[in-house]
Amino acid sequence: MTIATAIIRGTPVFGRMFSVDKSTGLEEINAWPALMIMASFIWLAVAGLLGVAMPATQMFDLDSGHFYTALTLHGAALAFPFSFQLMIGVGLHRSGGCVGKPITGWLPALCFITMNLGAALLTVAVLMGFKVSLVVMFPLPLVGAQMGIWSMNSVIVGFTGIYLVLACMILLYPLLGLSMLFFGKKRRDLVLSERSLNDPGMLGMTLAALTLLISGLPLVAVGTALLLALYGVIPMSMAAWAAEPVVFQYVFYTFAHNLMESMALMVSSALYATLPLYLADGTRKLYSDKLANAALWILLLTSVTSGLHHFITSYPAQPAMLSYWGNAMSWATGIGAALSIFTILATIWQHGLRAEPGIIAALMGWALYILDGVSAMVTSNVAWAYVLHGTMWQSGHTMTVILAMSLMWMGVLYHHYPVITGRKLDPVLGSWFVRLFAVGGFGSAIVMLAGGSAGMPRRFADWNQEGWMAYGNLIMIFGLILGASFVVYAYNLLQSRQLSDAVGQRVGAT
Amino acid sequence: MLDFLFSGWGAFWVTMGMLLPFAGMFWYVIHRKSVPYSGPSNTPPAAMSRIEGFWLTAVFVISVALNLASLKFMPIIATAHAAAGGVPVQKIEFTATSWSYDMSSRQVEAGKPVLFSGRAKDTQHGFAVYHPDGRMLFTMLMMPGVSKPTSVVHTFTEPGTYKIRCLEYCGVAHHAMKDELIVVKNKDAT
Repeated sequence: MTIATAIIRGTPVFGRMFSVDKSTGLEEINAWPALMIMASFIWLAVAGLLGVAMPATQMFDLDSGHFYTALTLHGAALAFPFSFQLMIGVGLHRSGGCVGKPITGWLPALCFITMNLGAALLTVAVLMGFKVSLVVMFPLPLVGAQMGIWSMNSVIVGFTGIYLVLACMILLYPLLGLSMLFFGKKRRDLVLSERSLNDPGMLGMTLAALTLLISGLPLVAVGTALLLALYGVIPMSMAAWAAEPVVFQYVFYTFAHNLMESMALMVSSALYATLPLYLADGTRKLYSDKLANAALWILLLTSVTSGLHHFITSYPAQPAMLSYWGNAMSWATGIGAALSIFTILATIWQHGLRAEPGIIAALMGWALYILDGVSAMVTSNVAWAYVLHGTMWQSGHTMTVILAMSLMWMGVLYHHYPVITGRKLDPVLGSWFVRLFAVGGFGSAIVMLAGGSAGMPRRFADWNQEGWMAYGNLIMIFGLILGASFVVYAYNLLQSRQLSDAVGQRVGAT
Repeated sequence: MLDFLFSGWGAFWVTMGMLLPFAGMFWYVIHRKSVPYSGPSNTPPAAMSRIEGFWLTAVFVISVALNLASLKFMPIIATAHAAAGGVPVQKIEFTATSWSYDMSSRQVEAGKPVLFSGRAKDTQHGFAVYHPDGRMLFTMLMMPGVSKPTSVVHTFTEPGTYKIRCLEYCGVAHHAMKDELIVVKNKDAT
């Protein structure tokens, strides 16, 4: 039994959901992904409670500090240890089964430790008073300490946590993914579904891993300098270049923007890989591999520099040309999305679809992602940026992209779950999960976009100022519906039934 | 019409307008090809190619048209023109510090362009101006340490009391960082 399997077995409640099936001989590709997926659901429970706490603090007129605590922790827990870790877990399981290589050794263990220890340290820092929001808002962490709003110790703990999480996302996970693709010996007994790099599903995973690694390295350099200075290893003067707000902001958003784009590439590729398995005529073919690959390449090439749209309203600090470029590239991602939309719908139209909850969840998540993409393009236009930047529109965009990707991965997990655990999920509960998630996800997204249109500020602890509480109440209602969908999903995992011996060996194998 | 299109609510309805055709197609394809009849389609490849061409052309044309139409509403263009001395402007210079604004003036005349020019002293701040009816007219992002102040030119059309808010999270009293701007009638107007 691996360490990962043992940890899952020893974890109350959540451990029951993800206990690994050892009878199939696939423990080497099941154990670490299962542990990461389990941990992601624990963080989801934390993030969900904090998400509801945000409108609740405003409804009951509680201290604004509680709002900013919930804001920072909710965003961080949802984006990194939940959504990203879920993606790592399911993505690694898919890669392992596609290339026939075990997910064992120190690299997956380090991935798991850095992500969860980092998120835990950030949580401790926020509870110590470090309220800087999901995006850090540098130099706010240092300014807050200088003003005595929070302690320098909380800054050090918080930065250490953030650094560990980033190390997982920028270095360890991409290295793990790339090493599985390009190195090591294939084992036939672990191959569930053989795929090559020519496959759109595999291509997207590779592009995403490379994007994370390349776009994140400048942030690693900046983060390393700052952390060494905070710990007193080097004098602060040696880290002054990294502490320049403009330097930090540009390297941060170059990574953060491409992180979201990478996750989008990964979910698109996961859909390209999974959809053919649910085609009614059994052809297992996309409408066009060439079109699917073109969509991925266009998304990659356009999105790398489209992140300049984050600074449009700082003109002339960001020169006009860079803002126009960010505008144009953001809208060019729409061409990639249009190709992707056509490929997915034409595939279903040509071959028919077996509408099982997993694939419908993935498709619904993809539809939510399209809504998010449109909202991102609109707010990236220079004219619209000036009336939307800093409003709830941006929060709606960020939350929707995370929800969309989470729904897609949760859908793909339906497909992988029987292989990992040897148990079967209830399709009726699965359908209810999709319905509730769709209502909660689309509802909260549209309300947040509407709030932004009405000028409702994001990260703002007083929604009563212009009657914005009406939007807050609707966000609360749709948030509770989302919460209900997660409860249904978790209940389905808890009460999953053992597969019969006749089909237990490789059911769900692709 | 275009004035509304490039406002906050215009953005919302454009987004919905772009989403709804997709949502309609998505629902139709999933419903038709999975619920009543999940078998393969006999649509000929040539017809699929025509649909593909039409779809991509439509996306491209709509994207280009919307962005070209937006040029007139991009504050950067008006601001660059004003900075080059193209138009006489009223000037308001300000410094944002947690959690207040130090402004050179809090009163301007309607009908004359105003050049807002601001810096952030400690951390990132925003400077968003809201119409008395609650609409946001524009926002600015200021980062400390940059050489050029963030600038925007805006012409107010109606007198009134306009609210100013910080839209960049700047700490635990961020929501209390606000100010006011009084727009009075144009003295030259008779």
